[in-house]
Amino acid sequence: MASFGAEAVARSHEENLIRPLTAFRPKLFIGSLVTGAVMALLFYSWGYQIFNDIGVAGINRPVFWGFYITNFVFWIGISHAGTLISAILRVTQAEWRRPVTRCAEAITTFALMIGGLFPLIHLGRPWVFWYMVPIPTYRGIWPNFSSPLMWDILAITTYLTGSLLYLYLPLIPDMAILRDRALKENPKTPRALFFRIMAIGWRGTLQQWHSLEAGIKAMAVIIIPVAVSVHTIVSWDFAMAVQPMWHSTIFGPYFVVGAIYSGVAVLMVAMYLLRKGLNIGEYLSDKVFNNLGLLFLAFAMMWGYFTFAEHLTVWYGNEHIERLVFDERIWGRFSPFFWTMMFTNVLVPLAILPWPKGRSPLGTAIVGFSVLIGMWIERYLIVVGTLSFPRLDYTVGSYAPSWVEMGIFVGSIGMFAFLYFSFVQTTPIVSIWEVREGHHLEVKAQRQALAAAREEP
Amino acid sequence: MSERIHAAFVSPYDVRDALDRLEQDGVSTDDIEVRSSAPLDHDVFPKRHGVHSRMPWMALTGAVLGGTGLFSLVAWSATIYPLPTGGQPLIAIPPTGVVTFEGVALGAILFTVATVLYECGLPGLWSAGTGPLDHHLADDHVLVTVKCDEGASMDWAAKALETARE
Repeated sequence: MASFGAEAVARSHEENLIRPLTAFRPKLFIGSLVTGAVMALLFYSWGYQIFNDIGVAGINRPVFWGFYITNFVFWIGISHAGTLISAILRVTQAEWRRPVTRCAEAITTFALMIGGLFPLIHLGRPWVFWYMVPIPTYRGIWPNFSSPLMWDILAITTYLTGSLLYLYLPLIPDMAILRDRALKENPKTPRALFFRIMAIGWRGTLQQWHSLEAGIKAMAVIIIPVAVSVHTIVSWDFAMAVQPMWHSTIFGPYFVVGAIYSGVAVLMVAMYLLRKGLNIGEYLSDKVFNNLGLLFLAFAMMWGYFTFAEHLTVWYGNEHIERLVFDERIWGRFSPFFWTMMFTNVLVPLAILPWPKGRSPLGTAIVGFSVLIGMWIERYLIVVGTLSFPRLDYTVGSYAPSWVEMGIFVGSIGMFAFLYFSFVQTTPIVSIWEVREGHHLEVKAQRQALAAAREEP
Repeated sequence: MSERIHAAFVSPYDVRDALDRLEQDGVSTDDIEVRSSAPLDHDVFPKRHGVHSRMPWMALTGAVLGGTGLFSLVAWSATIYPLPTGGQPLIAIPPTGVVTFEGVALGAILFTVATVLYECGLPGLWSAGTGPLDHHLADDHVLVTVKCDEGASMDWAAKALETARE
């Protein structure tokens, strides 16, 4: 009887997951409207720029890369939360991954979509983007594959394709569960039709499960090096140039660590909001936040170490132009940004996360939000800090973002939230079948323990 | 005349008992279909039902084809549209290697997904989910369907929650 009781509790928890998909939730609807309105700011500002030309942005000689490239690097970094973390947890078979993977994978997909928009926005004339695609035409325009910008396109395309498929594959069985429910209740609703289409005829046979699990494992193994390559290649956009404080051998790993750091930060904030908003504390439990908090603490120390190593070598090398950028960052014009970054990225995590109470859902969300601010500043310092003092120092200049760039940045945050709200209302944010599988394994372990206890004399 | 008997079980262990019973009765594994809403534990269901996957080999094939394809594109581009390289090789390994790596990954990803879809028979029948007991899958029950002669014994389904004949 105890197991039937446990089953009933598990079913009631599942209902909390499924309710946003089957019933009208005013909070989610209002959230979608508000974030949709903020997202509209992106398209309004971008449209304004397209009609009035790129001159309406604040970028100018010598700071040719401003907010747009800062945001590009920031969003691509955030995309490392999901697929990479999810893949690592799957490969290592960490049991606590089950409720985390889907919310993480969705973050990756949406952050990549938004990150990929920024180079198009930065182009000024986005309709000439196809010049970067190898399509034979009479104009004889052909991409230069030796350029890190071409590597960006290939890496981001590969990662986006992989992330979308990696999100969808484990979603198929859940869509089948929802289809079966919907067909039982009322097969003629649009919702039932949507779930039928999304489930693409999944039946749950032994062969289907075997192939799906093999596919997910293979994807997890493939996607890890792809994720690492993406941010390494983004770092090479900078490191392959001879600009001061860009031409660094550790930029690849430094960017990867920073990307995972900012990605997990978003994940912690998103999970906290999901837990509060959807009442799914049974899945996104304190234990999950505690584990993520510990992981995050390790990344805080790694990021701090990389930052120290990067700045120490520049200071010790004492090359004139490098020291100029360094000094402006530590003591000069950019020092308020730098020290805010150090506070939010190092001090806040190290002050809160070592304590078990600090690794509570609220504690990790506060740290995550703090690190997000710090990581955006880090991207800004790398892009604008260096370009303000290029190697040819007679072109020293400054940069201030225009309202168009601000609008696009704020709109991109709205777009991310809007996409996430939409996702929560169309798919279970926690993988139902993976949680069920975990429950079956628990029952099996209990049976084995009971059998062992009976055998003991 | 043959018919299909469907049985929905609450526990995977009851399903295993039912499958053992069917095996004793001489029912071919080809005539038995087990379906569930979550993967069934391999300890409970040993691989006796002929499931298989060519996943690693297909992923590897995709990786080789993807890598070869993009390497060829880059090498061909460098030859057809030569850039001044200051005496360095036209097809330099470092930049070509980066692009080739992405081709390897993209090829492996696409072949993996294609293999999953092919082996699972997806996109599948529009009738999926419309079987007489399919709603039990949503409740985490396990369905067993047996193709047998009309009027065949249903003793194997003694522990089932619900049964149906088609």
